[in-house]
Amino acid sequence: MAKIHLGRNLLDHQLLDVNGRRCGNVDDLAIEGGPGETAEVTAILVGPGYWPQRSGWVGRLAGRLGGSKRIRVPWAEVKRVRSGVELRKEAPDYGLGSGDDRLRPLIEKIPGADR
Amino acid sequence: MSKVFSLALGILAAIGGFVDIGDLVFNTAAGATFGYQLMWVIPIGVVGIIVYSEMSGRVAAVSGKAVFDAVRERTGFTVGLSALLASEVVNLLTLAAEIGGVAIALQLLSGLPYRLLLVLAVAGLAVVIWTIKLDWIERLFGYGGLCLVVFAVAAVKLEPDWGKVGNGFIPHIAQNNTLLYLYFVIGLLGAAMTPYEVYFYSSGGIEDRWSAKDIGLNRANAFVGYGLGGFLSLALMIVGGAVFLRHGINPEHLGTTALGAEEPLGKIGLLLALVGILFAVGGASIDTVFSGAYNVAQFFGWEWGRYRNPSGAPRFALSWLVLFVLALAIVMTGVDPVMLTEYAVIFSAVALPLTYIPILLVANDPEYMGRFTNGRLANTLGVVYLVVIMIIATTAIPLMILTNVGQN
Repeated sequence: MAKIHLGRNLLDHQLLDVNGRRCGNVDDLAIEGGPGETAEVTAILVGPGYWPQRSGWVGRLAGRLGGSKRIRVPWAEVKRVRSGVELRKEAPDYGLGSGDDRLRPLIEKIPGADR
Repeated sequence: MSKVFSLALGILAAIGGFVDIGDLVFNTAAGATFGYQLMWVIPIGVVGIIVYSEMSGRVAAVSGKAVFDAVRERTGFTVGLSALLASEVVNLLTLAAEIGGVAIALQLLSGLPYRLLLVLAVAGLAVVIWTIKLDWIERLFGYGGLCLVVFAVAAVKLEPDWGKVGNGFIPHIAQNNTLLYLYFVIGLLGAAMTPYEVYFYSSGGIEDRWSAKDIGLNRANAFVGYGLGGFLSLALMIVGGAVFLRHGINPEHLGTTALGAEEPLGKIGLLLALVGILFAVGGASIDTVFSGAYNVAQFFGWEWGRYRNPSGAPRFALSWLVLFVLALAIVMTGVDPVMLTEYAVIFSAVALPLTYIPILLVANDPEYMGRFTNGRLANTLGVVYLVVIMIIATTAIPLMILTNVGQN
């Protein structure tokens, strides 16, 4: 994979599943590697549960309101990083996009929702 | 449809969609208070919205990023979230004011009670969004808004002192009532450069699946559409100066603005003005409510867009429905939409830098923009306007307090 700047090209970027569906943002990164070793990104971390570690009370409040959910997408699942971060499988396979999936049946009760 | 024809249609819709309640209120009131002395502010505001719309449209076309994608990527979670909160508050105030404007126009046309019309207006707009495709919505309201050209006809018919109008284009500071004058300068700039226009413009580019080959279309829309739309602002100010200043009327009601077209053109002028206001403000309501939903969805990475039907983007659909309900609740309290407009415009001036800085940064990133990275002209203008915006942002609220929201 080409060289990417973790802060600028990865963190806070849009996640896209294999069908191009928008399914969350890169809320944080799991990076492993001790002193003297090469640090390696091992997973993309998604969900309100990771917001508190991103910022102070704003993140804690937002994380609590958002439901504190945490999803870990292994780095091996990343197909490509372009404008967004493209994943190999569909969003539900990672537990992503569940907010939209849960709300969909309700929205579909209103006539014309599929137009 | 031939390319030229579709371009012309897009531009016509952009002209009709340029004016919103902020422009109607501030341009007319500025004319009624200071005559033609503030004409010079309008071109400055129009060039500002052109510069940043073109830039955000280009970023959307080339990198596929809408404004709040860029905001979060460039400013991080904490600052991004603060920018989101600020922009949502301003958006909600603006939306409430626009909905109030729709109800006022409907009331003057139908004579039905205001609060009933508020509910009907919101229900009607929601049904329109739910059932009609976005490009048709833009055309419908854009062409309807073209009725506002009646103000340009009225401005000419009123035979203003063109020498004085011309002098108004020379930047200067009024000798007396300087604070109020400055308040109007800020208000006119804020009304012309409302942030929701940029959110909507960039997200709309992604909705229309713009790519690098649509750069020309983007430029034409921004330059010609907003440029010609600016003439409507000039016309409103001339009418304000020629009709209301002469009679010593302060147009505190949106309906008074429409009367400005009646004096030279009679009943047909009034009718066209009211229909134009109805469509312009109705279209702006839709742009504003979408902007609010776009921003939230982009910040949190949800699926968004009207090109996906509501069931394709459920949280996005719920977001704009909730924003409509909240805005309705605000105007149902009976708060004056014109007052609400002034607050919305002044507070939007404070939120502007958080919107425009990330756009400027991404537009300068060759990794994303390649050969479409900002050139020297776009950067010079971008930075100049950033300075203008910073001055506006720091002076807006002090001036609002010192002038008692433009009342003295």
